[in-house]
Amino acid sequence: MQQPAKKMKKVMVPRVVDGKETMVEIEVEDTGDSPKWGPNNAHRLLNKNITRVDAPLKVTGAAIYSYDVRLPGMLYGRILRSPHAHARITKLDTTAAERIPGVRAVTVVPSAAVVEGSQKATEEADKKNPIKVGGTAQPASNAVLKIVRFEGEPVAAVAALTPEIADDAIRAIVVEYQALPHAVEARLAMKPDAPKVMPEGNIKAASKSGDREKVAAAIAGCDAIIEAEYSTPTVHHACLETHGMVVDYRGGNTATAYASTQGTFTIPGDTAKELGLPESAVTAVVEHMGGGFGAKFGIGVEGKLACQLSKQTKAPVKMMLTRTDEFLFAGNRSGSWQKLKGGAMADGTLVALDATQYRLGGLGDGSQANQPYVYRPTQSYREVSSVYTNQDSSRAMRAPGHPQASFAIECLIDDLAAKINIDPIVFRKKNLPDTIYHRQIDRGAREIGWERRNKTPGGSAGPLKRGMGCAVGTWGAGGGPSCVVDVNVARDGAVVVAVGSQDLGTGTRTYTRAIIAEELGLSISDVLEKIGNSKLGNANASGGSTTVPSLAPALKDAAVNARLAVAGKVAPLLGVKPEEVIFADGKLSGGGKSLAWKQACAALPASGISARGAWKEPLQARGVHGVCFAEVEVDIETGFVRPIKMVHVQDIGLPLNRLAVASQINGGMIQSLGMALYEGRVMDAQLGIMLNPSFNDYKLPGTLEMPQLVSIIDDEDLREAVLGVGEPSLIPAVGAVANAVFNACGIRVRELPITPDKILMGMMKEERQKS
Amino acid sequence: MADERDDNSNKPEAPPDPGRRKFLKGVGVVGAGAAIADQLLLHASEQAKPAAAGGASVEQGAADVVLNVNGQKRTARVETRTTLLNAMRNHLEPQVSGPKLVCDQGTCGACTVLLDDKPVYSCLVLAVDATNKKITTVEGLGTLGKLNEVQTAFVEKDALMCGFCTPGFVTTISAYLKKNPNPSLDQVKEACKGNFCRCGTYPHVFEAALSAAKTIAMNNPLALGTESEVRS
Repeated sequence: MQQPAKKMKKVMVPRVVDGKETMVEIEVEDTGDSPKWGPNNAHRLLNKNITRVDAPLKVTGAAIYSYDVRLPGMLYGRILRSPHAHARITKLDTTAAERIPGVRAVTVVPSAAVVEGSQKATEEADKKNPIKVGGTAQPASNAVLKIVRFEGEPVAAVAALTPEIADDAIRAIVVEYQALPHAVEARLAMKPDAPKVMPEGNIKAASKSGDREKVAAAIAGCDAIIEAEYSTPTVHHACLETHGMVVDYRGGNTATAYASTQGTFTIPGDTAKELGLPESAVTAVVEHMGGGFGAKFGIGVEGKLACQLSKQTKAPVKMMLTRTDEFLFAGNRSGSWQKLKGGAMADGTLVALDATQYRLGGLGDGSQANQPYVYRPTQSYREVSSVYTNQDSSRAMRAPGHPQASFAIECLIDDLAAKINIDPIVFRKKNLPDTIYHRQIDRGAREIGWERRNKTPGGSAGPLKRGMGCAVGTWGAGGGPSCVVDVNVARDGAVVVAVGSQDLGTGTRTYTRAIIAEELGLSISDVLEKIGNSKLGNANASGGSTTVPSLAPALKDAAVNARLAVAGKVAPLLGVKPEEVIFADGKLSGGGKSLAWKQACAALPASGISARGAWKEPLQARGVHGVCFAEVEVDIETGFVRPIKMVHVQDIGLPLNRLAVASQINGGMIQSLGMALYEGRVMDAQLGIMLNPSFNDYKLPGTLEMPQLVSIIDDEDLREAVLGVGEPSLIPAVGAVANAVFNACGIRVRELPITPDKILMGMMKEERQKS
Repeated sequence: MADERDDNSNKPEAPPDPGRRKFLKGVGVVGAGAAIADQLLLHASEQAKPAAAGGASVEQGAADVVLNVNGQKRTARVETRTTLLNAMRNHLEPQVSGPKLVCDQGTCGACTVLLDDKPVYSCLVLAVDATNKKITTVEGLGTLGKLNEVQTAFVEKDALMCGFCTPGFVTTISAYLKKNPNPSLDQVKEACKGNFCRCGTYPHVFEAALSAAKTIAMNNPLALGTESEVRS
């Protein structure tokens, strides 16, 4: 008999590659009968404060992270980095390293392992400059690394009995470099006579849109015009657990990779390729991981080297990067340089914007959201290019490209508002057609006490000047059909939910349990979750805030299917139809009868019941808004900025766990505060090296910098759908803090981070102009 | 047991015999720069042998250490340059891996342990210097079945996300509340200024510390009495 043709429908879903999101149209089965979450205020567990299920493990040190995995016979890996920004390797001798007692293997980095962006340049250079690589026992195929393109580029790696011996071995590798001209600063790399970072040139035009002449004419007719340049430095993910993995391979037919990754399923393929095994022979395990923020997809060069060393030694190898490695070759948020010219009318209408945007991603393309970001002037022109430099490639970092764009436009908006002497939030509302922003702005303004702000920037008396700023952001936050969830209910009442997804600290484990428990009328502790294993049901990598909107719908679907399956077996005992069985308070009831959960489960077959769930589009949504307010105090005698209070208002549809959402919004604000005031890679243009690749010199926001933080979930968002919150919570704070500094002291700093010297310089310039 | 893949048969298996210190002289030409720490050179004494080829200086001296970790005497053979952190994580069997290696230079606090009840960065303490001292790690403050007040408060206030900084914070705050059972918010911030978090849990960490202080005071009225007497 012929199966009826499946009804299909087209939906737009984000495709995330390395954390970068593009929308694609796909066909999914139109089952027509998606379950529903129900009203957001009618949940028993969801949309409440749920303490993390993995918290007890984490507060006692019992949680085993990838970095903690220790296996019998395991070796420790270490990587030798290039000390030069651009150099030809003329000699590489590993003999002395191999002689050190306790050293088990030495390998040279193949050129193919070089990070994105630099590959092409390296290949081109390799063809022109063949050289011989010395050392012992190096397979000829490895003798290909001839040119290094950035400081920190991996050159060789070792495996030894202890990390200390591995450090010795790295020091004992003899490499001779012939330094080549480099360009590590974008403005220098853009000069016609600059050393070539890429064979085809250091500037790559990416896109253009709009009519520049029309925009220029529109701006010329404006009452207020602001023309300025904005720059943001390279900033670092600084995940506390560095990149890396433990490869458990002993020369057999299978391997296990314990990886610190945002994508459990991004690990087995590459690991298998390196080890020469079929993909199905490799299991990736990600029980607990110490932060990713966009930098941890795939096995990376460190994973490849771990595999090579494991293959050579037939022993497990732990290859976790050092903190310096992490700063120098494990990715970063691309810097930005934006030239904006915008105009507004005296009535507060934003008329036109001309934007030239440079993405500064080192050897990678970098990312930057297009201008005009969020705001919609009637006329706009933009051109976007990437500028290449001899620095490691940027990677996705929490809301790639958005905070850079948000910072620039929000400063411009604020300056225009000041010029036409209009309240910056009135100006914003006038130019934000989406009224969700309006209610969020009003909510945030109430919380921060906006009416207390300086009416004139810098207008308050005394050397300690307070000010407030505001900014907005947007993100997709929708998901796609990638997760397969299995729920098993055993005859003894045990409930296990399994999916291969990973918990980055976002709370995946907790809502995975909660959604099942809610549906079955159980408590959180009645359900066990199995996650972080590539042998479980497929799941997407955690990028683009897609984890919740991809996974939670599949969890809900699986939960409903499990409930129906259990009801089918238990209904006859209650004498009701399966759909009439009520699951609540740890009981199944109907027809005036009631059975305790365990009692009811005794009616299940010996193998229990299994149910599967898949993504259902209506259970998630797409498109979030966010508004941040900041209050700071600027000491105009020292230029020191003290953050006082930050408020972030975020719509998120159905918040699965309010406690975890609050934590994530706090985290977004804090990382954004870091970008605004403290963080930045400092390069030495002459030497081509990073001057602050350590936690001593790269300033992260710490406890003493913490303002009062208020995270507000916008409960007026009545969408009965789940959305991601990781990325949107980071975007606007950077602009809000910059605007607060301006409101406090009247000095506009357009180059991040806003350090005291820049404020003092700004004040000096202002003094000079006055006199 | 001889390793068949090892063509250099006179390599000792680690941890090496403390009596057979090998010391390779000479300094790496390029790459990672010169330096093995000076004190390691000082430690290297008898039987110093010149290296065959130009490599780094290597000191292979090892020592048997007895570490009193969480009330248990634990032994390990480590090179004398091994930090307390690495000794616990890489040499004790079973491992003590609650303290995390994050910056390895005494900046971030993720490796914080109590040495005779005082918080220290275990990445800055040599294992050989921690013998004869009481070492308390996060594992020793409470267990899954019986969390201490700070650990309980961390769970309740969601004072952790990825959790990699958590052992350090929990240890620092547990020690601080013994010293100052009734801290202000600013004192809590000051007490854990040597601990970094990247996920952004600080506000909930502060809440947890203040909440734990209250619980401790409630569970321990005597201490509270003493405190108020001191004030009056």
